[in-house]
Amino acid sequence: MDRRELLKMVAAATGGIVIGGEFFLAGCKNPEAGTSGKDFADSDIAFFDEVAETIFPKTSTPGAKEAKVGQFMTVMVNDCYTEDDQKAFRDGKAAINTACDKMHGHDFMKASPEQRKAVLVSFEKEVKDHQEKRREFMKEQDDLEKKAQANGDTNFKRKTMSAHYFTMMKQLTILGYFTSKEGRTGATRYEPVPGKYIGDYDYKKGDKIITSLS
Amino acid sequence: MADNNTFDAIVVGSGISGGWAAKELTERGLTVVMLERGYDIKHGKDYEASNKPVWEYPHRGGRTQEMIADYPRLKRDYPLNERNLHYWASDKDNPYTETKRFDWFRGYHVGGRSLMWGRQSYRWCEEDFLANAKDGIAVDWPIRYKDLEEWYTHVEKFAGIQGSYEKLPQLPDSHFLPAMELNVVEKDVAAKIKAHYNNKRTLIIGRTAHVTGPLGHSPQRTNCQYRDMCWNGCPFGAYFSTQSSTLPAAMATGKLTLGINSIVKEIIYDKETKKAKGVRVIDAETMQVKEYFSKIVFLCASALNSAWVLMNSATDIWPDGLGSSSGELGHNVMDHHFRVGASGEVEGYDDKYYFGHRPTGFYIPRFRNFGGDKRDYLRGFGYQGSGSRNGWGREVAELSIGAELKDALSEPGGWRIGATAFGETLPYHDNKITLDRTMKDKWGLPVLNFDVEFKENEKKMRVDMKADMKEMLEIAGVKNVREYDNDNAPGMGIHEMGVARMGRDPKTSVLNSNNQVWDCKNVFVTDGACMTSASCVNPSLTYMALTARAAAFAVDELKKMNV
Repeated sequence: MDRRELLKMVAAATGGIVIGGEFFLAGCKNPEAGTSGKDFADSDIAFFDEVAETIFPKTSTPGAKEAKVGQFMTVMVNDCYTEDDQKAFRDGKAAINTACDKMHGHDFMKASPEQRKAVLVSFEKEVKDHQEKRREFMKEQDDLEKKAQANGDTNFKRKTMSAHYFTMMKQLTILGYFTSKEGRTGATRYEPVPGKYIGDYDYKKGDKIITSLS
Repeated sequence: MADNNTFDAIVVGSGISGGWAAKELTERGLTVVMLERGYDIKHGKDYEASNKPVWEYPHRGGRTQEMIADYPRLKRDYPLNERNLHYWASDKDNPYTETKRFDWFRGYHVGGRSLMWGRQSYRWCEEDFLANAKDGIAVDWPIRYKDLEEWYTHVEKFAGIQGSYEKLPQLPDSHFLPAMELNVVEKDVAAKIKAHYNNKRTLIIGRTAHVTGPLGHSPQRTNCQYRDMCWNGCPFGAYFSTQSSTLPAAMATGKLTLGINSIVKEIIYDKETKKAKGVRVIDAETMQVKEYFSKIVFLCASALNSAWVLMNSATDIWPDGLGSSSGELGHNVMDHHFRVGASGEVEGYDDKYYFGHRPTGFYIPRFRNFGGDKRDYLRGFGYQGSGSRNGWGREVAELSIGAELKDALSEPGGWRIGATAFGETLPYHDNKITLDRTMKDKWGLPVLNFDVEFKENEKKMRVDMKADMKEMLEIAGVKNVREYDNDNAPGMGIHEMGVARMGRDPKTSVLNSNNQVWDCKNVFVTDGACMTSASCVNPSLTYMALTARAAAFAVDELKKMNV
């Protein structure tokens, strides 16, 4: 049976349902519904698209903007982040503009791709320091939690410390890109129905990762 | 009474055990109603997400804050995700209380957790059935390996188990379909472990209920396509589930009636005959109470819910419920303890990769306290793991951003290999569930309270579980080996067992050697509740074999008019 036949079989077995962005899962709200005041503006999405494109620019493979990573970031931040993390992420936009202004004399959207990259790269040390601090903070909380458990204190609540906003943006770019249709089909070897497993498969430098439907 | 309420047998629950009970009882000529508390999921056509690519999920399969708030229990591990959330029972509708933390992840729909199980399938060994007697703990199993051997073969031939023949005393071979393949790095590590430990330790392909070759009796099932989509339900029927396997067989007899939205509230016990007459059911949607009548009842509601049904039954005679006369009903809660092991980096093999998304990993069978080995704790553990190349989610510290980062993450990274141990837990009388009448579920029914903990034996075992994996990986030449112990609360293994154990004496056990409730011989319990000890291997295959065995016995007894 060749792959096309198999795909047809899958479609038949699933009743030929074409699933496109509907939200059949309880508790999963439609990101386009715009239900709360915390929604991002189109200008925000455009801004995050450019941040993402700076992290993952278009080359011979699609860029992050093409994969609509800006939109994806806002959905994830709105729905999946805690309020503290949302605030850290939102504050990031102003911080990036401030840094860009300081470095280039204008805000991020007006900057050239090279200028944008220089701004984001300049965060590297700050991000590293922040990560180090956060690791220590979490370890402290682990210890406190263990102590509380040992003392039978059930009221202990962990404190949290948000990641650096640039870490969030970078992670969301990588996640959003490689789980997007454009990223997965354009930058990886997408194999939704491999049909077999080969445990000893030749590889040469430059060959892309092999990815699945999930 | 109305005819449509009376059957030869009632099967409570439609998961792995319930499905097997329905198949075996109908094929042996009985009319059966299988009562499922949840909604229907039809094979193939109701697997809404089985062909859905990740980008069609707004959160790409992740979890939202709203989901976290709605599922205070399920959020504790992977089941809370966007892909198959509708396969997991609602924490809001189905609450429970915890004297000590217990992670209870349930599937309330046709097929139960057979739709989302890990599919790992292993026989128990002779030693497992002897262990309690040898160690002088809990009670002795009333059966031995040889009592179950033919039933393992029986269920394996039908369910379809892939694996390799190894002739290991601690892990008897099943009747196998062709084995899935270890990858090149796993094979190399396997060879080094085998050589170093002189065959005492082996790394083999993880045995799973996947179709890899002809299964003539089930033409609706085809070979695994290596898609990495098992969790959504497989439209190919490539893994064993009630829907793909036992339900169609039971339906084909024309003797099965499936009752959905049917929450079995209690078993109707007849004081005169000292037998069950049937069950009382609440319709999950209409709240209407309905009764079903039968000659025998198979309780396969999943371990803890089977105990719950018993606790709610015949309370006018036994305050703690049907089957409670021994004082063991609800006690001896077991799960496997896990999330401890090691992993590291494999050098070389830059010119090697793998094709396809294999739905299993490797397995390292138990070697502790076996074949002459002696430790300062009882029983043992096995490892489940895999070797793979790093994907796009890896950290690439030296490349901050830009085209280089995108290109680098579009290619596989280095190889890693690691494994997590699954350890046997002992049956402790004071690890128990009880009815908590201070809280009610959506249907006004009392909920379960959990008072379960891992104890010293498990804690001691974890030291080896961590260190042994590190040692084996280092011996195999794996670099930067890191051991871990991420701890887990009971329940997280989703292998609940023991709350209505089998035994030889009605004073110390709930069920006899044929899974009959001592206090009510026409009620059979064949899910995880019946387990007298836990072994360290995944239990589902044993539930299948025990269920098929008990069903054959029940039909024989009916013919002899003994029940």
